[in-house]
Amino acid sequence: MTHNKTTKMTLAFGAAAAVAAQAVAQTDSPLDNAFNALQTYDWGADRNLLNPIDQAVIATQTDSAARKTLEKRLVDALAGGLSRSAQDYVCRRLRVIGTAQSVDALATLLPAEETSHIARFALERIADEKAGQALRDALPKVNAKLKAGVIGSLGVRRDAKSVDTIAKFLDDADTMTAQAAAHSLGLIGTPAAAKALSQFAAKAPAAMAIPVADARLLCAEQLLADGNKAEAMALYKELQGDSQPSHVRVAAMRGLVSTGAKK
Amino acid sequence: MGNEGRPAPSNRIVMAGIGLGNQGSGDMSVFLGRDDVQYVAVCDVKKNVREERQNQVNGKYNNKDCKAYNDFREVMARGDIDAIHCATPDHWHAIIVIDACRNGKDVYCQKPETKTLREGKLMIDAARRYGRVVSGGSQRVLEDYRGIVNACWSGAKGNVKSINVNVGPFPVECNKAGEPIPEGLDWDMWLGPAPWAPYHPHRCSGSYNIDGTSWRSFKDYSGGGMTDWGAHHFGGATFAIDVREMEPEEVIFHNENGRKYATCRFPNGKLLHHNFPGRRNLEVEGTDEQGPSKPVPTYAGTGGIYGDFIDCVKTRKRPFRDIELAVHTATVCHLFLIAYELERSLKWDTVKQQFVNDDEANRLVDVARREPWVL
Repeated sequence: MTHNKTTKMTLAFGAAAAVAAQAVAQTDSPLDNAFNALQTYDWGADRNLLNPIDQAVIATQTDSAARKTLEKRLVDALAGGLSRSAQDYVCRRLRVIGTAQSVDALATLLPAEETSHIARFALERIADEKAGQALRDALPKVNAKLKAGVIGSLGVRRDAKSVDTIAKFLDDADTMTAQAAAHSLGLIGTPAAAKALSQFAAKAPAAMAIPVADARLLCAEQLLADGNKAEAMALYKELQGDSQPSHVRVAAMRGLVSTGAKK
Repeated sequence: MGNEGRPAPSNRIVMAGIGLGNQGSGDMSVFLGRDDVQYVAVCDVKKNVREERQNQVNGKYNNKDCKAYNDFREVMARGDIDAIHCATPDHWHAIIVIDACRNGKDVYCQKPETKTLREGKLMIDAARRYGRVVSGGSQRVLEDYRGIVNACWSGAKGNVKSINVNVGPFPVECNKAGEPIPEGLDWDMWLGPAPWAPYHPHRCSGSYNIDGTSWRSFKDYSGGGMTDWGAHHFGGATFAIDVREMEPEEVIFHNENGRKYATCRFPNGKLLHHNFPGRRNLEVEGTDEQGPSKPVPTYAGTGGIYGDFIDCVKTRKRPFRDIELAVHTATVCHLFLIAYELERSLKWDTVKQQFVNDDEANRLVDVARREPWVL
């Protein structure tokens, strides 16, 4: 149990003496002081108050047990109710040290407009599959404004499991969400992503023509890099049609030439 | 026919500017002053800034043709614009440059060109994919360090082993309290892909000071002096010792009794130091013998780095500060920043664009962008 959880319990029971003792216990190290400061930290507060936590991130690089304890304290703080500024601070640290242990706490922040991005700030960079699952699970829960961000993070992670889900947003009424879906499918760059993009391209509205063409070029490059030469060539050939702007056709031609050079 | 000796309209480069504050207004004035440029649009999230620039353009041409935009996407959608210049805060550069490329436009982008390591490769790839001319924006690389560049390239420094750069400060996280958003500022658009934060004048001041009173001071928008001045100094240094066409494979962090400095090692063995104790800025470590001499690359066209860009837009050649070379310099800056942040040495895989077997460092290769912006 963390110091903060302990403090809350003792307050609940109204044990004044115990609270005082706990308060003393919480000021026995600069790190504890920093975690205490985090409880009331907000915009305008002295950022230096939190420096011991920054230093602990560095100091625990080669001590996995201490690192895990530090992560747990940050997760507990996040779950305990913090200001937006303090949440922002914690998520920035979890971007560096977060593991599967942090994912549940971060996932709870995804549906809220105020915290969705800063949760992704950490989640996008956590390699553990649990982070990808949290992002996929969040898609149906987040509002229209936040969808583009979650889709974008799945794309950066090259989350192949989300292709079918992301493809459903290609014709989203929100242009930025639809564009994010196209871009992420391009980044994911699997044959399934290529198929989804090609199927949508035939019916894409004018506003999506350039984003979809760009996504297909991205996808082709990724396919080629991953050794899927035939799929890459097919995409490039599709993009050479007269309906494409000249710079897209040139890009497709250049890509097609590059497939010849790639073994 | 062009008026008053100007190239005919069909031979002018049709341009727009995005981000027209302190640095952007200077860039705009140079492009606007060129006979071979027709400036047609201005874009800034500050209403007063874009209106001032719009008036400046219309005054120059004595007409009312220049359009003013708050949202750069409207500039990108215009098919009549050949090229843009971008001088927004750094956190916007990659999104705008890549969007310009995918819309078939050439780009002159202010330095430092990238905010993260990942952005660099994406920008290079976009430029190459669409065959765009994309120039970085440090005029100092060629113009401020001619003495040391000429000394190295002439062979006078012998076999060059290393060069040192003294630059800073590091960027910091900003926790300034909110203030009322000034009328006419689109604060959400100013923040763009950066984490939400309350408006404070120091957050979005375009002042060149890096002392906590400008966006250049803060991590969400800049790499601090390490990238802002680093783009110049490291750019000049890598040019001088002729490693500008490659990226370092390793950054070595030194901590000698609390005195911290770092060194980048390039694939050819040359070293680029940062804050090496006792060494001057741009101090070269060479050998006594005369080395081989080679011609120093320079700008195309006339008019410095701006003229170089315009000339390359016409000829389709790569500019002196081609985006790939500019990104290499920015990469040096970011590698140093990450080594200092983690306080340890790092190995960088230049092909995979990842740190070698280092999950923690790889997390710092990029940042998640605030919705709806993706990259």
